[in-house]
Amino acid sequence: MIKESVLTELQKIVGNEQVLTTPEAKKAYSYDGTTNWVHEPDVVVFPKTAEEISEIVKLANREKVPVTPRGGGTNVSGGSVPWLGGIVLCTTKMNNILKIDKENLTATVEPGVVLQDLTLRLASDGLFFPPDPQSFFGATIGGIIAENAGGPACVKYGVTKQYILGLQVVLPTGEIVNLGGRTIKNVVGYDLLHLFISSEGTLGVITKAELKLNPLPQARKTSMAVYNDVAMAGESVFRVLENGVIPAKIELLDNWVINRIEEMMPLGLPKDADAVLLFECDGIPEAVEKETEKIVEITKKYGAIDVRVAKDQDEANKYWMARRAGFAAVFGKAPTVLSEDVTVPRGNIPALIRKVKEISKKYDMENCVLGHAGDGNLHPSVLTDIKNKEHYERAVKAIEEIIESAVELGGVLSGEHGIGLEKQKFFRRTMDPVAVELMKKIKALLDPNNIMNPGKIWD
Amino acid sequence: MKDLKELKKIEKFADQCMKCGFCSFFCPVYQEEKVETAVARGKNYLTKLAIKGEQEFTPEMAEIIGKCLLCKRCVANCPAKAQIDRVVVGARAQMVKEKGLGFVKNFAFRKVMADRKAFGRYLRLAKAFQWLLPKTEGNIRHLPDFLKALGKGRNIPSLAKTFLRDMVKPVYKPQNGETPKMRVGFFMGCATDFVYPELGLKLIDFLTKRGVEVVVPEAQNCCGAAIYFSGDFETGRYLANANIKAFDDVEYVITACGTCSSTLKDYQKYLPDNEEEQKRYEAFEKKVKDSLEFIINILNVKPEELTLKKEFEGKVATWHDPCHLIRYQNIKDQPRAILKSLKGLKYVEMPNADLCCGMGGSFSVYHYDLTKKIADKKMNGIKATGADIVVTACPGCMINLIDNALRNKMPQKVYHLLELVEG
Repeated sequence: MIKESVLTELQKIVGNEQVLTTPEAKKAYSYDGTTNWVHEPDVVVFPKTAEEISEIVKLANREKVPVTPRGGGTNVSGGSVPWLGGIVLCTTKMNNILKIDKENLTATVEPGVVLQDLTLRLASDGLFFPPDPQSFFGATIGGIIAENAGGPACVKYGVTKQYILGLQVVLPTGEIVNLGGRTIKNVVGYDLLHLFISSEGTLGVITKAELKLNPLPQARKTSMAVYNDVAMAGESVFRVLENGVIPAKIELLDNWVINRIEEMMPLGLPKDADAVLLFECDGIPEAVEKETEKIVEITKKYGAIDVRVAKDQDEANKYWMARRAGFAAVFGKAPTVLSEDVTVPRGNIPALIRKVKEISKKYDMENCVLGHAGDGNLHPSVLTDIKNKEHYERAVKAIEEIIESAVELGGVLSGEHGIGLEKQKFFRRTMDPVAVELMKKIKALLDPNNIMNPGKIWD
Repeated sequence: MKDLKELKKIEKFADQCMKCGFCSFFCPVYQEEKVETAVARGKNYLTKLAIKGEQEFTPEMAEIIGKCLLCKRCVANCPAKAQIDRVVVGARAQMVKEKGLGFVKNFAFRKVMADRKAFGRYLRLAKAFQWLLPKTEGNIRHLPDFLKALGKGRNIPSLAKTFLRDMVKPVYKPQNGETPKMRVGFFMGCATDFVYPELGLKLIDFLTKRGVEVVVPEAQNCCGAAIYFSGDFETGRYLANANIKAFDDVEYVITACGTCSSTLKDYQKYLPDNEEEQKRYEAFEKKVKDSLEFIINILNVKPEELTLKKEFEGKVATWHDPCHLIRYQNIKDQPRAILKSLKGLKYVEMPNADLCCGMGGSFSVYHYDLTKKIADKKMNGIKATGADIVVTACPGCMINLIDNALRNKMPQKVYHLLELVEG
């Protein structure tokens, strides 16, 4: 339990109204976007400035109270769940876009800015911020950076870390530090900036970010290739790339997912197909046309039985709506869904998909595969029920084997969701032990009292 | 063991939420408050705990469950298709069952609104005292003290000199003297009855000009929106039964109020307590049509056959989607088709036309400050269009849009779509 005096001090720092301690508020900040990770904080605070955050963290460090930074709480790793109680430091009220610099293609934002709000605002200036985690309706920039989030557009544009030029961070001991800057190139000293990207809120609180922007592409074109073998779809991914086309997005949906989406909202997807790939090209109109033609040609050559090019934006929106509905379709279908975030080098996608199907068969598990095939990041899922012990244990075994085979294929445990609580048990198994020790030393150096998002990443 | 009957009914809806949090972007209340208890995901989570017996209906919980406009933007944009409106209304019903309605609600709903005669009396009394208060702008006045709970100093349209109920005849035959092509019942709704009686007369005139016989049953009651959305299902069912009985012998029930039409249709969704009621309410739903839906889809009036009233010649108009039309009834194309085809009128779509105006019935009584903030966003959308007039089809929205346009010193006037149309 948190001391009464700490609560009083928190109220002094941010004002009474920005400190919540009711049982209802604590319950509402006990979860994130995952299914089963729940733990209540002792208090929720809503700071408005880096200085307030610094004061809060200094207080917490002095009193050894855990602090869990939180934005929109849309993450799917358990990362923003206050696992050891203490303070939830919620940045949703720090949501100002401070500056948009069209000449330098940069934006300065507070951590609580919601990605979709930023996207809409930038679009009105003909700009865009490429990282596109599919939680964009609720995800905040602070969280996106802390998780180094990615999404479909990573094939062409890469992940969040490629778009962060500078950060302001409050360290676990309360100092405010500015890292990086506003330039594309910067080799002054150690690259500390990137230490905080994907730190999952364990090394400090991001209070301001300098983002690198791109001009908004003038044209987009969507096409859908249909396959009667999901592994063939996997092969098409690298065939398209090796033939010189880098689409903005390449997404995969397998037969199971296609049919669940069609049950939810009939969109005219091919229900008999073993898998479909969705492609989106963006850029200058002429280039987009050419690239799309090339995709049609290559996918047909490498096993697509049908390729549809969306005739207009309405049809394109329909396909992307289907992709976005994918997760809802999966999670709505079973009491518990174990969904992974493994990522392999692109050439091994077909092998990974075959493995997933093989393992699921071995354990007799209803399963599906969807994900960002274009960057090798798949979300194989098995459907189970945590209340059915025998079934659930089998499901866990299946997932463990899927993760092991991804690592054997040269891949990693998590491509974009992070470790948080959800993937802790696999963390050490897939990580170089020397690297783990190094990480722990860095953590101890920055956070001597282990107050910043404790209980995450490693056991 | 506590009887969790109303919660049990909504358990399957509460289980739909997968906690993705996308609703936060669409929730007008969350957008102002930025706190998890304001958004659908938080409300749903706490209600799930209540279902499991791990959350009591404390005053805090009552506040959380109460602070929802029921605009259904979260529902419309939910990837898991979770019906949070049913969860919120169900939780409120359980709360009423356990704790009873608060004094204000008890007084307003049980004693006044459920008794149509009494409601009329109170409003008449209010009207009689209107001269005591300073006249504000146009025909908008402040209401007397004893209706302050409802008014809270806001601009409220003055009440009609004569209420619609005192003007209407029980039966209107088709104006051409021919055999009626159908017989419909006209449901007034309180705002049309007390504030916009001419709107009701207009609809009757419009329909009887087109061969429809219109009856106006005296036994009709309040639609029940403010009552059952607050969780008072008992009074809600009383009203549902009274209205179903009153409109027993007509083919269709027509109303010019978006809230009323959706409320009458949705008896079957929220209120039934047994199978017999379920069937009866479902049968009633099929008869209920909003005026715009009836005119375009049942009477098959072609939008291009309609002519614009002279006074609106050369005006620029924009459309506000009432929540109860666009999301409760999927009525969005009909009004736009009419507005776009009216010769002499220029139509401009407003940004976020589907955004709730912030009224939410009794929401605006208890959370008027929030209502104003939400309405300001609506007003920004209206300003961006450069329109002269704002058109909608829900008197509830009209009252709130007028209040906030005046508060923001905007020149735009607010009209019901039927008011723009000749004959």
